[in-house]
Formats: sequence, structure tokens, C-alpha cells
Amino acid sequence: MNHLRFHSPMKKLINQPTHYVDEMLAGLLLANPSLKLDGGSQRVIRRANAVRSGKVGIASGGGSGHLPLFTGYVGDGLLDTCSIGNVFEGPNVESCEDAIRLAHGGAGVLCLYGNYGGDRMNFDMACEFLEAEGIATRTVLGTDDIASAAPDEAHKRRGVAGILYAYKAAGALAESGASLEEVARVAQKAVDATRTIGVALSPCRVPTANTPNFAIAPDEIEMGMGIHGEPGIWRAKLKTADAIADEMLERLLADRPIASGSRVSVLVNGLGATPLEELFILYRRTHQILSERGITIVQPLVGNYVTSMEMAGASISLHLLDAELEQLLLAPASCPFWKV
Amino acid sequence: MPITVQTLSDAVARSHARIERLEDQLNAADALLGDGDTGSMLARVIEKMAATDLSATSDIGAAFNALARAIMSATGSSLGTLLATGLLALAKATKGRSELPWIELSGLIGQAIEAMRIRGGASLGDKTILDALQSVAQSLAGITNASAAADVANAAASGARAALEHFKPLPCKIGRARLFPEKSTGAHDPGMLALALLLERSDLPESSAACLLKTVP
Repeated sequence: MNHLRFHSPMKKLINQPTHYVDEMLAGLLLANPSLKLDGGSQRVIRRANAVRSGKVGIASGGGSGHLPLFTGYVGDGLLDTCSIGNVFEGPNVESCEDAIRLAHGGAGVLCLYGNYGGDRMNFDMACEFLEAEGIATRTVLGTDDIASAAPDEAHKRRGVAGILYAYKAAGALAESGASLEEVARVAQKAVDATRTIGVALSPCRVPTANTPNFAIAPDEIEMGMGIHGEPGIWRAKLKTADAIADEMLERLLADRPIASGSRVSVLVNGLGATPLEELFILYRRTHQILSERGITIVQPLVGNYVTSMEMAGASISLHLLDAELEQLLLAPASCPFWKV
Repeated sequence: MPITVQTLSDAVARSHARIERLEDQLNAADALLGDGDTGSMLARVIEKMAATDLSATSDIGAAFNALARAIMSATGSSLGTLLATGLLALAKATKGRSELPWIELSGLIGQAIEAMRIRGGASLGDKTILDALQSVAQSLAGITNASAAADVANAAASGARAALEHFKPLPCKIGRARLFPEKSTGAHDPGMLALALLLERSDLPESSAACLLKTVP
């Protein structure tokens, strides 16, 4: 079997498709001594230091293919542990159980991950097993993708880049010694305060697959597409960066109006193959629009924070701050891909 | 002869012997809608189940539990987790028993389906593995303790096959596949296809496509 599939339109720097995740994790760990590999399936990343006794633990998890998400956000002031699955496949139940157990410092564990059916099933099963062992858990789901369901079905929305803000808020509050109820409350508050929309320019390819995960004409884009290629709102010819940013902001602000005088954090996120230069062009326009509306930007994030391998495109997230969320956003944190 | 732990071991061993030949076909069926890895995923799952030593126990519930655990360490895919959920329901229902009369099988599968429905949120009719299992349970409802092993196996195979063909022209209504009804309409659901091919009675011919056209006696 020829593992170097050069007939594919997407070349990859890999050895064997089936080794993709394990070899990626090996390199991530070698480059980051702050992380440790753990769990029965060796698919849990945790902080090198064991969870502090009495601190609420925060466990996340998800499929591979989105670095820095999910594993990259394990660190002080953020996640304690993260279970990881194969590319675009949920982490197995055993890894979810291990991630929760390793995050437990006696004060319970918040499971904080994106709203995808498979991930939910696996974490729910793991939580049931561990509740029987006496570990208290709460679950909060990232549901920030406004293109994935209408506002009246907001609980059905998928979690995308905006989950970062929930990690930050919950992580900071947990470090301060807050209770599980409090940490879960603030995580949900951060999710509720965050909206994201994405735009895709080109697809990606799962390493074990022969074909890209969707087909799109060279001159077309898809507004609202999900991070695994889930269908978006419309598909049409490429427009200018400003026209795209204008529509994304218009949709975000229609979904969650933000009053003049408000303070927000903005994440302009690259999906993997889009250059930072283009992200800054989008950010420039985003800043203009928000400034014109009298909205102040706090701690902007521009870069590749949640990707879909070699997919080209970007997402914009708005995180509406109040005093509590702003304080938590600015609290110290350190992981391989984000330092505050 | 009633169902024992040995019956489970034999069923796993038979699936193990067969899955390798089905892997590419199941991957291809999944590629129409998903990442094209259902066959490889099931191969990994069944490999792990086959490597699970059940010889130390005569408790059918414990054996089902060990097989569920094997799945839960082999995959995070929804189909895998649903299968584990079903086996855990069977484990609970058969805990402490070393023999099960065959007439209980249909009802037990019904209990597994109920647990899978609650876990995954699918309804009967959504075109998932649940529909295939429901059809198998209905087929098995007619068997008696006097039924020959071949009759039981034939009933299970025809149940799975009937569901596969019934749902082929219908769209899938849950999971990622529901986002692409035009792709699932007219295509076999990979999970249903896997069950039908694993329960298929006759030895697989060279061309697995031919196997699909074959009718169950």
C-alpha cells in the first residue's frame, strides 16, 4: 500500500496516515515539557504537574486535526487535561474517563468541550462511570457557531473557535479556588457571551481519506461552514476581505446585538492554510466596524487558534465582556499556544 | 444449547475472521457520507474484542461488560460508542447468569436498542444501526428454544438484510449524515451494512458486491 498518496490534491508531511495522531502527540510533547501524555489509550494530555488538591479540574477533549485546539490549551489558568481522538473523531470513552480522573483534585471536574454528538456520548458515558466512583462532574458545551442553527435552537449549535473564551474564563476561575458550581456557571456564561462565524475557501483532507472532505470551485467560498466541512449558509464567488468581514460582523451582531460603549474581545482565527497577513486584513476591517459602533476591543487575538488542518479560511468570534469576564480574560494563563 | 460465554467468544471470533475482508467495502460505503473509515474502525474494534480473554468467566454479563470496555478503548466513533452502550445494557441485563435460553435474545436486543436510543438520541426510522437491530430483534422473536442454531442465524441475517434494503432509498435523519440527505438517499448506511455483512450466512464470495445481491435462503 502506498502511504504517500501523491495523487491527492493535498500533499501532507506525514509518514503513515494511521500514525498521524500518535506521531503528532509525540512531537508536541517533546517540544513542550509542560505537557505529559497519560491514560490507558495514551490519548490524554495533562499538565506535567498533577492537579492541585482542592482545585476544580477542567477536562476537555475532541478529535485531532484542530491544533492548537484542544490539547494545546492544557496549561496553567486553562485546561488541566484533554482527551484526544483520531482526526475528526471523538476521543474514546476510556480516554474521557482518564482525562476526568486525572483532572480531579478532590473538588470535582468541569467537562468543557464542543457540542458534537459523538463527543457528548463519550463524555456522558465517562461522567456516569465516574459519578458512580464518587467524582462530581458538570458539563458545559461550546455552542458558539451561529451558522449551525437558528437562534431559537441555539443549544443545537456546534462549538468552534469561541470555546477558547470559555476555557479562559473557567480556567482562571478554577485557579482562584472557586467551587465546581461557580466554575460551571462562569463557563456557561462565557459560552453565552460568545458568537462565531466562519468562512471556508478550500477544503482539507483527513489523512486516512483519499479525497478532500468537501469539494468547492477554485473561485468560490462558503459562508458559515463548520470546522469539519459542515455545510454553511451560502456558497458563491470569492469577495474582497472587507466585504466578507462586513457580512460576518453583520451576522454576528444581528445574532447578538452589542450596544455602543460595550467591551468585547475579538478572535480572528485562521483555519490552517490562510496566511496571518490575510487574518490581519480581516482584523483591520473588524476593528473599523466595531470602533464605528462605539465598541471597545480588549485583548484581540489574531492567529491560528482553532484549525482544520490545511483548510483555508477564517472565523471571527466576538466575546462580550462584563467586569467578571474581563477580569478572567486578563488573568494570567500559560499554555504552549497562548500566554496572558 | 443455551447461550453461554462461549457463544459470545465464538461470535466475536467469527466476526474477527470476516471483518478484514469487509474493511474496504465498509470504508467505501462510509466515504459517500463520512470520513470513509467505518471499516477500519470496526476492524480495530473487533480486533480488540477478539483479543479480550473471556475464558476466566462464566458470567455472561461480565463477558458483555469486558467486550464493551474493549470497544471503549478502541474507538471514539459514534457507532463504536453506541455498540458499547448496547453491550453494557446486555451486561446489566445478564449479570450473574451463565446460561441464557435463545428465546430471551430478541427481548435483550430490544433492551440494548433502548439504551442506544437514549445515549445517541436517534429514533427508530432515522436510518441507523438501531433500525437494523430492531429488524433483527423482530426476526428473532419467532424462534423457540427448540430452534436449530442455523435457524437462529438465518433469522438474524435476514432481519439485518431486510432493514438494509428497506432503508436504502430513505434519507438518514441523524448525525452528520442528516446534513447531506441527497448523499444518504439511495445509499446503504455503513453501520447497517456492517451488521448485515457480519451476520451474512454464507461464506463471502470473491466479490463482496455479489454478496449484497444474494438473497438469504
